[in-house]
Amino acid sequence: MKRHCFNNVRLGLAIIALSVFAVGCRTSANSRYFGETVPPTRNILRYVTGPEPESLDPQIPDGQPEARIFLALYEGLVEYDPKDLHPVPAIAESWEISRKIDEFVFHLRKDAKWSDGKPITASDFVYSFRRGFAPETVSRTAELGYFIKYAKAFNAKSVFVKKNNQFLLAKDFAPATEAKTNEPENNKSPENEQAVSSSAIAETEFHQFIKSPDRLVVSGDEKERAKAVEVNPALKTALEDSEFVPVKGEDIGVEAIDDYTLRITLRQSAPFFLGLLAHQFFRPVPQQAIEKYGKAWTRPENIVTSGAFKVKEHKPYDVLKVEKNPNYWDAQNVKLDEIDFYSVEEQTTILNLYKAGSIDAFSNHMIPASWVDEMRPFKDEYLNFPEIFTQYYSMNMKKPPFDNLKVRQAFNLSIDKVALAEFRKTQKPLYDLSPPSISSEYEKARSAVSEELRLKSNTSPEEWANRNHFNPERARQLLAEAGFAVQQNNNAYTCPSFPADKIALSYNTFESNRLVAEFVQAQWKQNLGVIVPLKNMEFKTFLPMKNAVDYDGLALTLWSADYLDPYTFLGLQYGISNNGGSGYYDPKYDRMLDEANSELNPQTRYEKLARAEAYAMNQQPFIPLTVGSTNWMKKPYVKGLYPNPGTLHSWKYVYIERDPSKWDSNVENIMK
Amino acid sequence: MEEEIVKSTSLWRDAWRRLLKNKLAVLGLVVVALMVVAVSIGPAIVEMTTGFTYDYIDKTLTTSQPPSLTHLMGTDDNGHDIFARVLMGGRISLMVGVISTFVSLINGVSYGAIAGYFGGGIDNLMMRIVDVLYAIPYILIVIVLLSVFGGSNTPAWIKAIVDVFGGGQGMSQIILLFIALGAVSWLTMARVVRGQILSLKNQEFVMAARATGVSTFGIIFKHLIPNTLGPIIVYSTLTIPSVMLSEAFLSFLGIGVQAPYASWGSLSHDGINNIAIFPWQLIFPGVTMALTLFSLNFLGDGLRDALDPQQRKF
Amino acid sequence: MLQFILKRVVIIVPMALVVVSLTWGLVRLAPGNFYTSEKKLSPAIEKNIREKYGLDKPVLQQYLIMIGNIVRGDFGDSLKYQDQSVNEILWRTVPVSATIGILAYLLALLIGLTTGTLAALKQNSSLDYGSMAFAMLGQSVPNFVIGPILVLVFSLWLYWLPPARWNGFLGIANLILPVVTLALIYAAYIARLTRAGMLEVLRSDYIRTARAKGLSERAVIFRHALRGGLMPVVSFTGPALAGLLAGTVVIERIFALPGLGNVFIQSCLNRDETLILGIVAFVSVLIMFANLAVDIAYAYLDPRIRY
Repeated sequence: MKRHCFNNVRLGLAIIALSVFAVGCRTSANSRYFGETVPPTRNILRYVTGPEPESLDPQIPDGQPEARIFLALYEGLVEYDPKDLHPVPAIAESWEISRKIDEFVFHLRKDAKWSDGKPITASDFVYSFRRGFAPETVSRTAELGYFIKYAKAFNAKSVFVKKNNQFLLAKDFAPATEAKTNEPENNKSPENEQAVSSSAIAETEFHQFIKSPDRLVVSGDEKERAKAVEVNPALKTALEDSEFVPVKGEDIGVEAIDDYTLRITLRQSAPFFLGLLAHQFFRPVPQQAIEKYGKAWTRPENIVTSGAFKVKEHKPYDVLKVEKNPNYWDAQNVKLDEIDFYSVEEQTTILNLYKAGSIDAFSNHMIPASWVDEMRPFKDEYLNFPEIFTQYYSMNMKKPPFDNLKVRQAFNLSIDKVALAEFRKTQKPLYDLSPPSISSEYEKARSAVSEELRLKSNTSPEEWANRNHFNPERARQLLAEAGFAVQQNNNAYTCPSFPADKIALSYNTFESNRLVAEFVQAQWKQNLGVIVPLKNMEFKTFLPMKNAVDYDGLALTLWSADYLDPYTFLGLQYGISNNGGSGYYDPKYDRMLDEANSELNPQTRYEKLARAEAYAMNQQPFIPLTVGSTNWMKKPYVKGLYPNPGTLHSWKYVYIERDPSKWDSNVENIMK
Repeated sequence: MEEEIVKSTSLWRDAWRRLLKNKLAVLGLVVVALMVVAVSIGPAIVEMTTGFTYDYIDKTLTTSQPPSLTHLMGTDDNGHDIFARVLMGGRISLMVGVISTFVSLINGVSYGAIAGYFGGGIDNLMMRIVDVLYAIPYILIVIVLLSVFGGSNTPAWIKAIVDVFGGGQGMSQIILLFIALGAVSWLTMARVVRGQILSLKNQEFVMAARATGVSTFGIIFKHLIPNTLGPIIVYSTLTIPSVMLSEAFLSFLGIGVQAPYASWGSLSHDGINNIAIFPWQLIFPGVTMALTLFSLNFLGDGLRDALDPQQRKF
Repeated sequence: MLQFILKRVVIIVPMALVVVSLTWGLVRLAPGNFYTSEKKLSPAIEKNIREKYGLDKPVLQQYLIMIGNIVRGDFGDSLKYQDQSVNEILWRTVPVSATIGILAYLLALLIGLTTGTLAALKQNSSLDYGSMAFAMLGQSVPNFVIGPILVLVFSLWLYWLPPARWNGFLGIANLILPVVTLALIYAAYIARLTRAGMLEVLRSDYIRTARAKGLSERAVIFRHALRGGLMPVVSFTGPALAGLLAGTVVIERIFALPGLGNVFIQSCLNRDETLILGIVAFVSVLIMFANLAVDIAYAYLDPRIRY
């Protein structure tokens, strides 16, 4: 009896040993490509973009996986450049921008057609924009377009105020402090200004309305209005015995001058607006299909698209197949016949599919850090390029101990970010609010401002350069100054007075978030003697808590750029209810940003933004950790797929190369 | 009364003798006992001899090192010593198993006993409630329990436990996890106990107790439940592994044990991603967990055979 | 018997409604909303969403509307996947989970019944221990460990089978690994239940009578013992089959299959209320019918039970 059962155990051990051995053998084997590398027989790209797309209506989802799909299905006024994402002509052939950068006139190409053959005209864009802002559409990305005049008012169901048959104007009721933020000094006489340099465009009635001084907009809800009066007593007289006229879709600053000319008027200067227009929210939706089928317009049998591809088949949670759109204006240059977007969520499953040759490429951040060293040698396939994706720890500035600047600085200085980036393998250390990868011009402006501030502060260049870098000595000193003395006993630090058990480092459940948190926790433990408890939370539990700044201690903030401009990051701390998650609010900072954004010279604007960034960083509203990199793979036979900073691909340039001699070798070269 | 006790002691002795005959069950018992000892004192010993703890990260970042003399089971993605983590993870896993089973035991036994004893309409209603609870997705229950009672809303008694034993917020989350898993795993226990009570309640000794004026409460808890201990113990030993697997499943979904703590389930899940490159990250926690669950299952089967009243006929 | 069945069928609907109501309560208690995302929504947009989905109405009214819709079988559209109705999602995902689940269960029955019966016939032999040890593999190793190991061996080393994805109901190559992984768990349960059931039956009086009558051992086992010994398996089969439809989450995630289990877990994590309630209503009715079917099967298999 005994003999038998031990035999079984021995057998089990043998199996385990065998599998260990086999695994070991496999990893040491080395070949040029990772797994099966055989191009598909048809001109087809099999791609994993992430989980199932929420909707095929470009105005609904806000995620990146969907954004990539929309790049195939819908084409906007402008498109992302496949390599660096700057806006390039698409349905708009050319455009003119007003001197103040608050008005854009687009000239549309005349050969652009929907997939059902109907021409795409300026009125399609007007329809799409109005639909996007309509409250019934409940678009979650509509906020991106609030720069368009009266778009916010329309979206929020606000009303104009009419008294004695005349619309009241905003400037007459603005409270003293707000007047400054809303209307910068160098903006005295908008009426005299010529809108757009091109004089060929006729003046229209609508344009006169939209360029007239801002009307007063108040909430459509009576209770809200009462609240507004409390804040701004000047409004009281305005609201008495007045007529309230709802803001309609027709009032927003979008106008079809003729079939192929579109004019967009903003409420303020927004130099980055052109780049923003490539976002899915601004891509045209087919009026003909939406009005005919209503909610069901996105079904494969009803959907009409404007991009290089149209929907072939949609099996939710499995695959979305799109095929070449023969009516696309540039169809002769579209090389792929079909793209299959698979919905797969597990990272390991994606890697397995890739290795088995079932997919040709996949989206960013899909390779776990532990695999990176394994993948790096596959120089023809592994793409790790700079990205506009940042990681911060927000700190609750409304509660002790992080209401104290010195504590915030101490926690920042005690993290060795170089080691952190090295540990994460695909990331670079981050010391500011915005990552350096956003634009080289901004980088220049930032270093100029930095040099100026250095001279003012009278420090040596070296000291200045390291002021934000890892400095445990200084961190301990700051913590002591804040009233939490750090003690040293045989090589270990302790900080008994710090209320570590009252705070936590919260993050949403995700393996990489946990790894970073554990790393940073260890850093604080070793450098400050503070053991911050970790708290991981299910995503939907975490978000409301962070957004409401209803946590103790620190919380993770991940941010990826909506457009290629530092403002997409600096805006994180803008306004009283911002996305920064720290509860930071400083009217002076807001004013600095407003001023910068109304600056017409781009270089001066960057300088002003850099100044604002430096100002905010002095208050350390959060701890910048790292800036990410793309971290994805493609088979060498997939050409024209570039590792741009947002992993947003222009699919029409992608093709399958069958001749192995022309395959990509060493991806470092493909961006050149 | 006196005779009853004598009879039941010999009954237990009988069962014990039968259990010892079952070699696999004995092996299981030995492995479980060793495992309990290892996870109780192991972490402290490892810390004393090597300095590694389950949350210690080496400054030199020795991530994903294969097993060596310094790190007996290698290190993980973060440079933690896997040996220290397996020991500590085992402590958490076994605690999840035992405490959650205990919670489900208390719930299930009293609920099942009351339903079975009173029978009729009460029984019917109580069992339909069990049916309803069966159909509610337990993942939602876990999410709600963890989020509603986590963070600042942690009940005072959990805080008190954490204050006494240490471990901070991570530990109070783990305690909530015990309760959540216990709260969803008592249903089968209730059914098993109810069935036993139904068949026992009309036997002579119950009638005798009732005739001598023992209260209903006394009959249920002093007479009926002790006589169903056999199936309860058997079922409990089978619940422990299944609760441990449930915890592993929650870890798979990312709502299980919280970092820096780990359980065998979460360690196996971390390891499985790296199985092709760093196999030791899966093999050590995975094999330890499998071995323990094997042993618990064999022990449970052995106990069932030993306590099975049918078998005594032979 | 008929009356018993009728009584149980009638009670299923109110019970399912109780399940739905409690689930609704849980969804409402859980923090976050279906529209919560990384980027904070402007108050105006949040207000629009709440108005559109009736979240600004009094809670009781919302509850009544929800129950009314469920009673009429109108589960509405998914909140997160707005293009898809809940009914449509059920129609599409249930067959996938059912295919994998049923195939896995059949395989598990084959393995479990064989090993369980053999083990019972040769109790305490090496055959008993060996087959039970094998059976317990599925109950001792989490399936998220077994699955990837099978993938590693059969897809990434040997390149025999695809590592993941659904390829239609006839894409057998894609079905093998998920079915085997899932079957291992159930095989373990079935083997243990069969063994226990058979052991009990083999010692019972009627088997002794049958043997005494001089029936061959073969006839005793197949005609009498197996029938009684299957009882625990039967009682396990009902809930297991229902559970298989909703409970194949891990398999569906690892193998990227468009089944109900993963959709359900995602809907819980997304707080996709309509989808959660639709699935819960469907699955709870299914479980209750499965339990009823078990009771009926019991009566058929065991002549002592009469309703």
